[in-house]
Amino acid sequence: MNEVGLLDLVLEEEFTRDPNLVFLATNSPASLRRRFGSDRVRICAISEQAMTGMAVGAAISGLRPIVDLNRASFAMLVMDQLVNHAGRMHYLSGGQYRVPMIVTSATRGRQQLGPQNEQCPYGIFMQTPGLAVVVPGSLRDACALLRGATRWPGPVLYFVAPELNRQRGLSAALAAAPLRFGEAAHLRHGDAATIVAIGGAVKVASDAADALAADGVHCDVLDPRTLVPLDTAALAASVRRTGRLVFVDDGPRSGAPAQILSRLLDEPGVAAAAGGRIGYVCQPDVPVPSAPPLEETMWPTEGRIRAEVQRVLGEPE
Amino acid sequence: MTTAVAPARSAEPAAPDPVAMFASMVLIRVFEERMMELRTAGEVIGPVHPYVGQEAIAVGVCAALTQADSLVSHYRGHGHAIARGVDLDALTAELFGRAAGLCGGKAAALISDSRTNLLMSSGIVGAGVPVAAGAAMAAQVRGEPAVSVAFIGDGALGSGAVHETLTIAAVQRLPLVLVCEHNGYQAGNRTEEVYPEVSLLRLAEAHRVRAVGIDGNDVAAVATAAHDAVRLARGGGGPTFIEARTYLTRFHLQFERPSPEVRPSDEMAAWRARDPIDTARQSPPLRDRLSDADVEAIWERARERVERAVETARSSPWPAPEEAATHVWAEEP
Ligand SMILES: Cc1ncc(C[n+]2csc(CCOP(=O)(O)OP(=O)(O)O)c2C)c(N)n1
Ligand SMILES: [Mg+2]
Repeated sequence: MNEVGLLDLVLEEEFTRDPNLVFLATNSPASLRRRFGSDRVRICAISEQAMTGMAVGAAISGLRPIVDLNRASFAMLVMDQLVNHAGRMHYLSGGQYRVPMIVTSATRGRQQLGPQNEQCPYGIFMQTPGLAVVVPGSLRDACALLRGATRWPGPVLYFVAPELNRQRGLSAALAAAPLRFGEAAHLRHGDAATIVAIGGAVKVASDAADALAADGVHCDVLDPRTLVPLDTAALAASVRRTGRLVFVDDGPRSGAPAQILSRLLDEPGVAAAAGGRIGYVCQPDVPVPSAPPLEETMWPTEGRIRAEVQRVLGEPE
Repeated sequence: MTTAVAPARSAEPAAPDPVAMFASMVLIRVFEERMMELRTAGEVIGPVHPYVGQEAIAVGVCAALTQADSLVSHYRGHGHAIARGVDLDALTAELFGRAAGLCGGKAAALISDSRTNLLMSSGIVGAGVPVAAGAAMAAQVRGEPAVSVAFIGDGALGSGAVHETLTIAAVQRLPLVLVCEHNGYQAGNRTEEVYPEVSLLRLAEAHRVRAVGIDGNDVAAVATAAHDAVRLARGGGGPTFIEARTYLTRFHLQFERPSPEVRPSDEMAAWRARDPIDTARQSPPLRDRLSDADVEAIWERARERVERAVETARSSPWPAPEEAATHVWAEEP
């Protein structure tokens, strides 16, 4: 599923544990289908909106459906079911109904799928109430957060970066316990600056922090892991201490980074600590082009992250 | 590259020339085989969805069109583009991601070409159908005789937007021709696994859209069906859904390596025996009109043409990095 095959094994274990889990996709994992049968593991026509709506109805009716959209760009096709229905039914029904469902999709990779299909739209879903938004930054967290998603009481959008598939440590990742939502990972420690890194960008941000540390610049690196709910307290505490903030994301500047920043500025002391010393290493607010030399400008790289950290370090307090 | 096509004065295209259609199919075949090689070699970028096996459909349909007609394609669109007469050098350069490409390297296979009214090649299954209907509406509003054609795969009938558009097109008598290239597969799924029946005609008929089933590997049959549909649409007779049965004799998709997908060998053999290019070669009028040497010359010309396009693409510079941020916002025309 989703370009990250290890997640199929997580699902097999969770399907064994919870008989209410069902799977809908145009392309469902063969092993899952063999083991749990075509009732619980379905192959559908290319009908994302219907699959997502069916998941809403099945969730209200007591199942816990997983819809694999394959590409995150296809989330645009199912906005109505996600935003107007999945995210609002608990509210609309005055708490009578819960909608525990998971919609999975793969974000940007390095396959030159072009302006339409290379997208990280998770920031959009930070302003659509009722939807949890999960963006794992490591293979281990991908497994642990998927397990967490199968225990969450409401709808979850789960966005995974294809790059995570290249990480090692498969058996440790598979063994990781379910993660609770809303707890950031504190990956590197330092007082020079706070780096908030998301999803596929967490690894390059950590690498950049290591390189900076070798030059004596020690940064905090935090991976929120879930954007909704957001661990605002952990992020704010770091920014108050360092007084500098750099966002690193494969997605657009006005997406998750802008949303997170607005939450942080609500926290006492954050604006005073970091005002004017905030940086971004993200996809600019333009689509991702196909040509490699153009696409290259759209990725956070170690060099860009180091330069941006150095820039905010140069800004006077 | 952005000059709009002037509305055609004469609405009917010339009768399709069988030799020209044969040569166009050969050009697509040679091009596709070469693009797969060059994708494996890392020169072509992005996903390559080869059109091999379906050439007769693009060629037969485009033979029925005039300059003023519009086309909407999708990710498996090289064949549509070539049959439409999109400049081969610019197409190839685009697949190489170069500055001289049709879309400056931004699109790779998802090309547009305003010169030939190729409006878009969407990467979203089914999404092009309402867009094509919009182009049809534009012709209707302006009182122009232009027709809009959308190529779709059999998988696109899964999309609600396609069904919604069929209903609107029927009611509003849009000059729209949907060409459904039914190759029996939707990526990893066989169509009978996900649809209630294999024939798609009744799905279109349920929306009260005229539906025509044809052998998509017979270029003459495709050209005739397209010609009839286009003539009807131009005359205000409304939309047609053409289901052209066909088969991908290579595979769905490749990135760095050709796809390892396996198909039943008897199925593959049966369709290879009905290869659209061989079929055209062996049926009248080409059987009598072309010698083996003539046919070989057509293949040789296609190989030369494709090689020239490849050389041109190779020598085209990469786009400058600043180009990444151009064309996000339209400027005043
Ligand atoms: C809305 C949407 N969902 C899923 C996909 C992924 N996808 C790409 S091609 C494809 C199969 C399409 O099959 P079909 O329409 O029969 O066309 P073919 O590839 O056979 O030419 C799928 C599912 C997509 N591009 N768009
Ligand atoms: Mg198909």
